[in-house]
Amino acid sequence: MSVATETVTVRRSGIPGWLGAAISTDHKRIGLNVGIASLAFFLLGGVFALLMRAQIAQPNEHVVSDSTYNQLFSMHGSTMIYLFVTPMAVAMAVYLVPLQIGAFGIAGPRIALSGLWVWLSGGLIMQSGWLTADGAGRDGWFAYAPLSNGTNTPGVGQDLWVVGVILAAAGLLLIAGCVIATIARRRAPGMSLLRMPVFTWTALASMLMVLGAFPVLIVAMTLLYIDRHGGHIFSGFNGAIDYQDLFWFFGHPVVYVMFFPYLGAAAEAIAVGSHKRWFGYVAFVASIMTFAALSMSVWAHHMFTTGGVTNQYFAFSSTLLAVPAGIEYFDAIATMIGGAIVLRASMLFALAFFIQFLVGGLSGIFVASPVLDYHANDSYMIVGHFHYTLFAGSVFGFFAGVYHWFPKITGAQLRESLGKLHLVLLMIGTNLTFFPMFILGEEGMPRRISRYPTHPGWGALNLLESIGAGIIALAIVVFLVNVAVSLRRREIAGDDPWLGHTLEWATSSPPPPHNFERPLPPIRSYAPLLDLRHAAADRACRRDGAFA
Amino acid sequence: MRGGAIPLLAWGTLLAAMLAINWIWTGDALQVGEFGFAVLVIYGGALLLWLASRDSITRGPPRPRGEPETLPQVSLAPVLIALSVAAILFGLVWANFLVYVGAGTLALSLGRLGIELRAERDTRRRIERDVLR
Repeated sequence: MSVATETVTVRRSGIPGWLGAAISTDHKRIGLNVGIASLAFFLLGGVFALLMRAQIAQPNEHVVSDSTYNQLFSMHGSTMIYLFVTPMAVAMAVYLVPLQIGAFGIAGPRIALSGLWVWLSGGLIMQSGWLTADGAGRDGWFAYAPLSNGTNTPGVGQDLWVVGVILAAAGLLLIAGCVIATIARRRAPGMSLLRMPVFTWTALASMLMVLGAFPVLIVAMTLLYIDRHGGHIFSGFNGAIDYQDLFWFFGHPVVYVMFFPYLGAAAEAIAVGSHKRWFGYVAFVASIMTFAALSMSVWAHHMFTTGGVTNQYFAFSSTLLAVPAGIEYFDAIATMIGGAIVLRASMLFALAFFIQFLVGGLSGIFVASPVLDYHANDSYMIVGHFHYTLFAGSVFGFFAGVYHWFPKITGAQLRESLGKLHLVLLMIGTNLTFFPMFILGEEGMPRRISRYPTHPGWGALNLLESIGAGIIALAIVVFLVNVAVSLRRREIAGDDPWLGHTLEWATSSPPPPHNFERPLPPIRSYAPLLDLRHAAADRACRRDGAFA
Repeated sequence: MRGGAIPLLAWGTLLAAMLAINWIWTGDALQVGEFGFAVLVIYGGALLLWLASRDSITRGPPRPRGEPETLPQVSLAPVLIALSVAAILFGLVWANFLVYVGAGTLALSLGRLGIELRAERDTRRRIERDVLR
């Protein structure tokens, strides 16, 4: 049985070429534009990282100046967080959510298009600081006051950074609102909220967190701008604490905005790769909601050592985070048990995502304790922890999503062999780069230093990390080659190459302008295409007398 | 299954409980304010979904949607509005003349947006009158 809808659409003639792509209101084009731009920012942020690693590969190096190093680590963090990982998560949501819920488009396409350009303008304005005499922003991706006030950090570059962050956050906020409105208003008949695919649930949680946290960032940055121009808003001890309270109220939830959609992508890849329904759907949704609620209650664990917050409360709420995280791991493992597992690149990346994120999560339990955090604070231990959560917890999930949905988006298959080479290099590079940071941190190497004296073991471990960063860069080159080769010498993917579970696999690859030209299948669960296959198999068994 | 807004209400309630504990434990006005804002956003989201999801969670065959909906394939106005706002902010920091350029472009692009929306409304009415009648 198929579901018929009688929506009459009026199509205006489109404009072909670059201009048409730039002003298209099709959610798929908007998602691709955000994705491609954020991938470009990812490459830029990666170059910043390589330059930093070159500077600290050995003691007392002089590859770049101290000031340039400050700009590099600030812009590396800012680029990765405001311009790559968060917007890429939003891009995936914009592209996939309408398809997964059977909608013919996104709600508020003009607002989403506007959001794309506001965000992109913010990114370019932030990077334009490199062209100024004082250089780009140089107070980290957090720009703590009073370090970032007009006296301590004079210059236009830091102002451009502040304005860039405001615009980037505002743009993402606009797009997130459209995704939520789409889920609220444009679900296909039968697609109740608890029949939405797991990726859509993770996207909904992320977008709601954007709505709850990003306005606070915009407020913080606006106040910082006023402060930098004589406002004296964050002066004194309380001012510094208030700024951190405002910033981290955004800064910690955004970690989960950067995690949930990639978790959803990995979950979809595992379920489809195991040829099984995602296990424990309701528990998973509940765990995502709990995760989201708790993640908005833990921000001041970034401020344990300031003496300005109640450490007991934030240690308590931070440690609670381990509970919903555990549910997601149980669900992933239980989905694979008894499944007909096919170890494609998407499945392998999804498994790597769970394994690598586990290292970040477990190290997070240590630093959630104020006693241990006092020891680890401002050391490389923290850098290792957050790179395992942010880099491993997003990039591996992102690539699981890319290998999973690339055939749907382009109609072409990525090369599996290159995909597996990409995975192996990325795994080696990630662990070589970030694991030694735990040892360096334990030995007391402080973070954010551009040079360090000769110290037993530090030089060797830092060299190892720099080699690892080079291997990560090589892995990204392999990925780009894979994309180029796969698009130039196309292996036609077909509409549903993996036997997918969700509605995006019920349309053509790539999907048509209004997503579905064929009637949608009936939606009776969060895996409607799997239901169809099971029903067909049941019918075949009955016909063949298998149940006789 | 019904009641999909329940997970969000549960999220909001857990967040509200954490807010209450935070209020009792720390009593920090800024923290309570931020927290309260987040609780309102999540409860608001749940309310929105609950109100909006009624059509989609009713049992039985779906009702056909007969109303025409205009879906533009391209739109220049939102891009110009975004670039105008960016120009104004960039101008505040870098070059003041950009503030005036941005304000002018913003006014023009808002006008352009009005024209686009009016054309869509006219098209929708024409379809309703000529095609669907």
